[in-house]
Amino acid sequence: MGRIIGIDLGTTNSLVAVLEEGGPRVLPDPETGAALLPSAVAFLPGGEVIVGARAKALAGERPLDTILSVKRFMGLGLEHVSAEDRRRYRFAGGGGVVRLVVEGREVTPPEVSAHILRELKRWAEAALGEAVGQAVITVPAYFNDSQRQATRDAGRLAGLEVLRLVNEPTAASLAYGLDKQDEGVIAVYDLGGGTFDISVLRLRAGVFEVLATSGDTHLGGDDFDERLADLVLAELPEAERSRADVRARARAAAEHVKRTLSDAERAEIVLGPARRAVTRAEFEALVKDLVERTAGPCRQALKDAGLRPEDIRCVVAVGGSTRVPLVRRQMEAIFGRPPLTDIDPDRVVALGAGIQAGILSGRRRDMLLLDVVPLSLGIETMGGVFTRLVDRNTTIPTSVKETFTTAVDNQTAVDIHVLQGERELASDTRSLARFKIPICPLPAGVPRVEVTFLIDANGILSVTAADLRTGHERSVEVKPSYGLSEAEIERMLEDSIDYAEEDVRQRQVREARVEADMILHATRESLAREARLLADGEGERIRTAVAALEQARAGEDYLAIRDAVETLGKETEPFARRIMDRSLTEALANRRLEEL
Amino acid sequence: MQAAADTRRECWKCRAERGAALVCSRCAAIQPLSADADLFTVLDLPRQLTLDLADLERRYHAASRAVHPDRFQTASRRERELSLAASAAVNRAYRTLRDPVARGRYWLELHGARLGDGSPQVPPAIAAEVFETQEKLEELRAAARPDLRREVEALRDGFTGRLSALRDELGALYASANGGAPSLDELKRRLSEIAYLRTLLGDIEDATGEGLRGTDHRH
Repeated sequence: MGRIIGIDLGTTNSLVAVLEEGGPRVLPDPETGAALLPSAVAFLPGGEVIVGARAKALAGERPLDTILSVKRFMGLGLEHVSAEDRRRYRFAGGGGVVRLVVEGREVTPPEVSAHILRELKRWAEAALGEAVGQAVITVPAYFNDSQRQATRDAGRLAGLEVLRLVNEPTAASLAYGLDKQDEGVIAVYDLGGGTFDISVLRLRAGVFEVLATSGDTHLGGDDFDERLADLVLAELPEAERSRADVRARARAAAEHVKRTLSDAERAEIVLGPARRAVTRAEFEALVKDLVERTAGPCRQALKDAGLRPEDIRCVVAVGGSTRVPLVRRQMEAIFGRPPLTDIDPDRVVALGAGIQAGILSGRRRDMLLLDVVPLSLGIETMGGVFTRLVDRNTTIPTSVKETFTTAVDNQTAVDIHVLQGERELASDTRSLARFKIPICPLPAGVPRVEVTFLIDANGILSVTAADLRTGHERSVEVKPSYGLSEAEIERMLEDSIDYAEEDVRQRQVREARVEADMILHATRESLAREARLLADGEGERIRTAVAALEQARAGEDYLAIRDAVETLGKETEPFARRIMDRSLTEALANRRLEEL
Repeated sequence: MQAAADTRRECWKCRAERGAALVCSRCAAIQPLSADADLFTVLDLPRQLTLDLADLERRYHAASRAVHPDRFQTASRRERELSLAASAAVNRAYRTLRDPVARGRYWLELHGARLGDGSPQVPPAIAAEVFETQEKLEELRAAARPDLRREVEALRDGFTGRLSALRDELGALYASANGGAPSLDELKRRLSEIAYLRTLLGDIEDATGEGLRGTDHRH
């Protein structure tokens, strides 16, 4: 068996790492040397799929078929998807798991994530020079059971045996602990692209014991971008403002400006002819309420751990969004001390995942993680009440037994509705699954079925049942509320066998050709229709690049095709910008006329 | 304190005698928990209410290192299952035993006694304050007046102080029993009062909006 890899499957970026003699190491893209894989998946005509930076670059042109933050949808039903996200992508109707509609077909979030995982697997295999089949994948600590299951399903679909799901802040603490050999209580504040986690841990003699965790699975840097993007979009008329391609470009411009404002005092969001200057103070006012929303979970975690802020030895900053100065000030306000930032906040989770992979493979026996379940788990009882069986922040693995009986004579099955959350009413908590336990028909109240809920070291629930009257183990039929059934996964795996067995190089050639066809088609259209927008000599340079690409496309060298695509992209970029600017300028001019 | 029968058990893997230990002392294989194993046995502690918390934590960490699923990732299916079950038992033992109140409740359970499942009776010593608090909470739910809130908070601080005193007394009670144990009735009375105060403090928290429940269900 090959090495176990550690994967940080992030909202915005994903990374892969392994533990080596000298410590954990992030494995780069074999072609470009990049460490971060943008978590972007573009679905192209003809069924081709591309992942990463090249996919992200297509978001402006193909906003509906390029999924940028699929992690936001993992383990959810359509009813949990925000209004903004519903505008952003197309969704299929119906209950159960969310289904995105891309290029005319439906895909589930685990399938989309599997594309990202497959790419990281490829990176790792190229760097290690051997096949890889097993992985540790990180998840937000505050992910519920459905979200964890969805992540594990994604791994399976990518051809990876997921040995462990590790909570992101806990993984980060491993990377810090390895470096510092610290003892005492630490807090890990993890604000990523789409999720927020806070974990409080005690480190003692190599044991990393999570005392409490809390968070918000829909709060992150993406929300900052959204607010900034709205500023520049407000400069455009309504009709343009709601265009998916315009919104995607506005978000990309906003993300860039957000990064700039971490160092600079002012910056300008540029969207075609629309420009909007933003000072850091204005940005901070804009996102203040979002940043302040992190304080509640921090206080909750401290309270659950039975600690005060002054009991915390150090606060570790994790996630790209902790680069924002306002976020750092918020951390300092909550914990009364400046955060530690000495490990790159973009890489620290992946490094920790690599360490955990090393622990599982037996390479490091001195360290041990003891993690917790983030949200209470229970069942629906009479009157729609949520009855807790496992309290939040209980150390995992854990198990609890409950005995059930029947309310009606001759029932042949007992139905159990499993829920997760902190509220009192079942309808206010998240439905995880329904279980059906077959029983022998007997008068009401006579059957005694003992059900064992076991939460494993991944924070995932499994259920077994035993008939206490007969002593027989009972099979439990699980119906996940917002997940894939075993049959669906099997079918998806069968569908992807061709994909998995196909020669990787062949696939890359095919993908590169589709990319080439897309840009060639778009370029020809633009040249035919918008020739008057060409600058001097520009048409000639573009035609040269087109010819070069056509020649490369005829060959078998996918890297040459990609290079030619990139060259043509660079040559046509100013031209494309002018075309887009013109449509927005006209729209702006029309609005000004209306306003007059 | 282990039953005599336990000490004759053999390790399922290497057939060495392994007593009641969680893992075999010769081959380190995890042993199945016997049906009669209590939470004290799981952490190899004598069955008594007094215990040294630092020692408890050391035992917990040592047991976790020996049985946690992280250590058995590459082991056989049987060993992985044993690891999961043993690890869950170790976690439950630590969670229950480290807290004097949970430990006391478990003690009652071990001796066939239980705190009533219904809501506990108002302890006579604090009946007057409880009555006053409930009236004020009623008013506060109707109108969020700041003066009322301050009064409720003052009452809450009183109850919190009393709760922590009760917990300390519980520790003292365990220690004074000196290896023996207090009477079950005495234990029951004290634990009921603590349970009552906890519920009351929870109600106050809900009414004053101090609880941070519900942050998980924004969507």
